[in-house]
Amino acid sequence: MIQQMAVNGLLAGFIYVIMALGFSLIFGIMRIVNFAHGEFYMVGAVVVLFLFGSMGVPFFVAVLIGGVVCAVLGVVLERLLFRRLVGDELGGMIMSLAVGIILQSVALIMFGPSEQTVQRPFSGTWGLFGAVVPWDRTVVAFCAMVVLLAFYLFLKYARLGLAMQAVAQDPDTASLMGVESGVVYAASFGIACLLAGLAGALMAPVYTIGPYMGELPMLKAFVVVILGGLGSLPGALLGGLLIGLSESVLSTLLDATAALIASFAIVLLVVLTRPTGLMGRRTR
Amino acid sequence: MRKAILFAVILVLAALPFLFGSRYIFHIATMIAVMVPLACSLNLMLQIGQMSMAHPAFMGLGGYTCALLMMKLGVPPLGSLMAGGVVAAIFAVIFGPVFLRIKGVYFVLLTYAFGQIVNLVFQEWTSLFGGNSGLYGIPKFSILGWRLTQVSQYYVLAMSFASMAFLALRAVERSDMGAMYRALNEDEMLSRSLGADALAWRIGAFTFTAFIAGVSGGIYALYIGFLSPDAFGWRLTVDLLLMNVVGGANVILGPLVGAIAIVPLPELLRDAKQFQLLIYGCCLIVFLLFLKNGLVSLLAPRRGKA
Amino acid sequence: MVDLLDVQRLTKRFGGLVAVSDVSFTVKQGEIFGIIGPNGAGKTTLFNVIAGHFRPSGGTVMLDRVEISGHTSDDISRLGIARTFQAVHLFRKETVAENLRRAAVIAKRYTPLAYFRPSKQPKTAGVADVAAFLGLTGMLGSVAGSLSYGQQKMLGIGMAMMVRPKLMLMDEPAAGLNSSEKLVVRGLIRRLREENGISVLLVEHDMPLVMGVCDRILVVNQGKPIALGTPADIKSDAGVIEAYLGEDYEFA
Repeated sequence: MIQQMAVNGLLAGFIYVIMALGFSLIFGIMRIVNFAHGEFYMVGAVVVLFLFGSMGVPFFVAVLIGGVVCAVLGVVLERLLFRRLVGDELGGMIMSLAVGIILQSVALIMFGPSEQTVQRPFSGTWGLFGAVVPWDRTVVAFCAMVVLLAFYLFLKYARLGLAMQAVAQDPDTASLMGVESGVVYAASFGIACLLAGLAGALMAPVYTIGPYMGELPMLKAFVVVILGGLGSLPGALLGGLLIGLSESVLSTLLDATAALIASFAIVLLVVLTRPTGLMGRRTR
Repeated sequence: MRKAILFAVILVLAALPFLFGSRYIFHIATMIAVMVPLACSLNLMLQIGQMSMAHPAFMGLGGYTCALLMMKLGVPPLGSLMAGGVVAAIFAVIFGPVFLRIKGVYFVLLTYAFGQIVNLVFQEWTSLFGGNSGLYGIPKFSILGWRLTQVSQYYVLAMSFASMAFLALRAVERSDMGAMYRALNEDEMLSRSLGADALAWRIGAFTFTAFIAGVSGGIYALYIGFLSPDAFGWRLTVDLLLMNVVGGANVILGPLVGAIAIVPLPELLRDAKQFQLLIYGCCLIVFLLFLKNGLVSLLAPRRGKA
Repeated sequence: MVDLLDVQRLTKRFGGLVAVSDVSFTVKQGEIFGIIGPNGAGKTTLFNVIAGHFRPSGGTVMLDRVEISGHTSDDISRLGIARTFQAVHLFRKETVAENLRRAAVIAKRYTPLAYFRPSKQPKTAGVADVAAFLGLTGMLGSVAGSLSYGQQKMLGIGMAMMVRPKLMLMDEPAAGLNSSEKLVVRGLIRRLREENGISVLLVEHDMPLVMGVCDRILVVNQGKPIALGTPADIKSDAGVIEAYLGEDYEFA
């Protein structure tokens, strides 16, 4: 029982981590809250629905393309709309909200309100310490771990990654040292949308696909980010796994809605003692 | 001078439904009157630099409280209405200190989560709230034995509250209390070093605006006669923000103008429901890019507030 | 003379870094007290702990026998301490008069209804006096953002005065000023004590100002106190001279 809950929780947690990471990234670097984050998740899933579900493109290829589509979309939107709002927190929030509802509407118009499903690329289960682990969720979690590792390495060793960290910490000094903020902003937004798109694409066969599918993952990302600390990447990791585990435990003991409410309550308790989250930086 | 003209125009618009006498126009006018206090209360929060996504939830809490008190306990309508506001205010007082600790982003995220979860409770707790299919059969508003049945009467009820709320918020904006809020928003560190208890002030604003939202919810419940969680969800958040951005988020007059502009839209766009949100999104972007301070800013070509 | 500010064994740690270590001193009523030290000595952290921006890791701060350590900056302001900022903080879009008025309104805790009183009379009491004290009477109608840097710093002092503090904390009051402006500030600090009975605790780099205006001085280096005394004592203190060796300071 406990192993099952733990396994389920961790599997779900990794996806939350990816969502939270992207969200934290945009905020950490551009100080913009991306209310459209859930919609990028949806776009990734829709690409997989189209390529893998209807056109028979191999699953992982479809996932990658889904991520790339979201990344490109993100970069375009950043350049056109968000760049001028860097630092304007309120304006950035409202803009992202607008983008979100536009994306949702477009999906609604193109596909209609009903939900669709995509066949599972992997089926069957395997056993781990007495817990039953579905293969498809395992693949999702494994891919998520790979993405996380790649992202970590990027931040640590790639020039662009280091530049992004610099801008997040101190934009003025970073620009004095020659970091081109425009490139960094575009890259951050693009990567954040890439992450959201990959998450949605990976999860496409797991649940149903519809215009509103991104709302719940986005809410979870918010909760994770509040818990772990906005702008903190280790916080996103810690927060994501914690939320995944607690939800798994609580929804087994209670039900899904009660689990969400309980997670929120836990997060509130944490915020009471550490307002910027478990690992957040104090905001200026 | 221009503002005086605007006020005159608004007064004329307010009287307009009586000239036409059509139920349809009265309905739209009543909905505008219900939305104005809500949009204005969000505006006060925006003016202190906090974008609250909890106010639709406060409206819902007020609405359901009012309805349930009347239906289950037979509390008279006026009392239920006030109680609805008080319940919303209580939630604000409880959660405010937690949400408002740190300015800005965390507040938005926390109120967003709060709003979504309250909505979930409305949906899931079917025995109390009637779930997604809604809470039906809310009694009509009556006072001292006089029962309100006509749309025009509800219009007057909603307008009365809207005027009171608007004037109260405007009084705050123009007073030294408003100056305090602007000071805190412009330079919190300075204000605090001079002695401003930032947290207390924000909780005050949050609670007061929650009360207004709660009463609005009650009026909505009494007018429509039926409540469903849909009415208090994400859509309402977007609507309220749109009213503020389009009307102007810097002055309390803005959302008033915004409500008049936005509330009739779904009626005009009735044939293309899916396009409604799309148009709203595009409107938001256009205004954010080109008319950041809203329609009201067109009134003051010179710098500085009139 | 009675002790106004009593700092006992104050310590502040940031993670593993000890910024302030076991600092004790008192500021007497009517005194002008200075804190100096080489760069990175911990003066600013010490200042900020006293001002309520950081909680101390150890030790206490008392104002008039009331403990203020760990209180928030707005609490501390209400208890009678006002501060100025090194980087000027003003309401830039408002006039000088409105800045001062706002400071008074913020500092006094009115009952909720009093904020709506249309008559601004009671609330503007003191604005003209403070402006005159600072030499800003002619600038009352000007927008704060249009003032020169020196004038803005004066206005900052003025706003702190509107709080009617017992003790004013000044964070590098001479920073960024030219020599004539520094002389004005020196005079101002003295007059704060003489004409308004305000005691002053200042943190400074400018030696001539500190030596010229302070009654007593505390020298800190690497978070630790190394000397405490009158300017004459400090100038001749071997430990102090050693701490400043290699730095271009003139003990003028």
